[in-house]
Amino acid sequence: MSLQYHLKLAEGDVAPYVLLPGDPGRVPLVASLWDESREVASNREYVTFTGMYRGVPISCTSTGIGCPSTAIAMEELARVGATTFVRIGTCGTFQDHVANGDIAIFDSAARYDGASRLYAPIEFPAVASHEVVDAAIAAGRELGYRAHVGTTRTADSFYAMHPRPGSSFGGYWQSSWREHFEDLKRLNIVAAEMEASVIFVLARVWGLRAGGVAVVLDNVLKVSGEEGTFDPQDQFDHGGDEIERLARMGSETVRILAERDAVTPAAPASA
Amino acid sequence: MSLQYHVKLAEGDVAPSVLLPGDPGRVAVIASAWDEAREVASNREYVTYTGTYRGTPISCTSTGIGAPSTAIAIEELARIGARTFLRIGTCGAMQPEVRVGDAAIFDSAVRADGASALYAPIEFPAVAHHEVLEAAIAAASDLGLRHHVGTTFSTDLFYVPAPGFAFGGFEQSAWRERFEDIERTRVLTAEMETGALLVLARIWGLRAGAIALVSDDATETSASGEWDPQASFHVERESLLRLARLGCETVRILGELDRERAGE
Repeated sequence: MSLQYHLKLAEGDVAPYVLLPGDPGRVPLVASLWDESREVASNREYVTFTGMYRGVPISCTSTGIGCPSTAIAMEELARVGATTFVRIGTCGTFQDHVANGDIAIFDSAARYDGASRLYAPIEFPAVASHEVVDAAIAAGRELGYRAHVGTTRTADSFYAMHPRPGSSFGGYWQSSWREHFEDLKRLNIVAAEMEASVIFVLARVWGLRAGGVAVVLDNVLKVSGEEGTFDPQDQFDHGGDEIERLARMGSETVRILAERDAVTPAAPASA
Repeated sequence: MSLQYHVKLAEGDVAPSVLLPGDPGRVAVIASAWDEAREVASNREYVTYTGTYRGTPISCTSTGIGAPSTAIAIEELARIGARTFLRIGTCGAMQPEVRVGDAAIFDSAVRADGASALYAPIEFPAVAHHEVLEAAIAAASDLGLRHHVGTTFSTDLFYVPAPGFAFGGFEQSAWRERFEDIERTRVLTAEMETGALLVLARIWGLRAGAIALVSDDATETSASGEWDPQASFHVERESLLRLARLGCETVRILGELDRERAGE
């Protein structure tokens, strides 16, 4: 395929295994863990590095925030030869047993986004490839990270749907938001973020593989104050090496997958 | 917990791991693969056997057809101590590479049922527990079974309003390309219980998975418009026993994993 319109990538520019952070600023950070890497494209929110990590060809492309820009990234990456997608991002949690700094491994997503519905009906499950999930579990164990396997709630909004007025500008609020987060907690949903569902749905309908890991930055039920104010700049915990740990999780997951792929011939499309 | 209203079971009657066929008539067939088995309850469509398979305590309870009766079965089973659920049923193939007699292992389900939507919003995924999934894949490989891993279309309708399916040619336009659209999303199979099972187990923090024997080719019948399940469905006792073996081995592998973990 020729040069892709948004990503500015052509066939040969990316490895079959692609890490997908949201933030373009994190791509060089992720690539700095690899043995070799080079920037292959940069346009809008899409920055791509390609290189080698412990003998495995690997790429990293930022998706921007949200499912619409992520769907574009997936479409164009698949066209130039990407076959395994691992989202690496940050997330909030709904669960009290999950601490800031822990790793969440997503086996599935609740589809509170718009883009994935335009591809497949809402009844369709946003489910990760079990091979990616299993490799991520192995990576977490090997790196000694505290990890939780479960469902993420992927939503198209960052500031809406909080339990009290104050998260959206000017105190704008809807009564249906009051117990929304509590309901998600009761559903055993582990994490909240903004991209996983469309990645899982698209990979699944195309017969490709996807998974996701994230580092937990906050408990979304505790992050807004008594008055409902939500100031992520103030309240999110970016204290230490979260992003580095995330990058290690993603890169190791890819390495383990590549190792297993070499042993077992290519995964069946339905797996 | 005391005696449960529908399944007529009390605490101690079932093992922590329960196999879930739809048909009450299949419970005894599945239990015939165990080392020991006894019937512990029978009421309406709910028949339960409990026993031991290669050293692992195991139970089997029929759910009846569809998500509503399945939701009742697993609500009551969970109350009396069931912690791992494995649906073991039959399904129709939605993809050409899925053939009659193959085993299907479900990692997820399309939620085209009513019951699961009353528990959790439709955005919520029907997804199998990864440990059950990995155990089923390992069991299928050990047994040398031809198998597929993927999504099943869990529907409340057996006779859908498409030409040739519903009585009297009743038809709804929304169903005209529904099968083709489902096939295009790479859904492997269609059946009637997995979606609700996976959603309920997930929200309770319990483990669930599902395996099925492919008993007909839904793509073929949808293409020809001629559909007579009595004539076209194939559920041989031998293939059913093969599926039973796959279910029991999955439970055994999970039991081993649990014992390893408890020993750590």
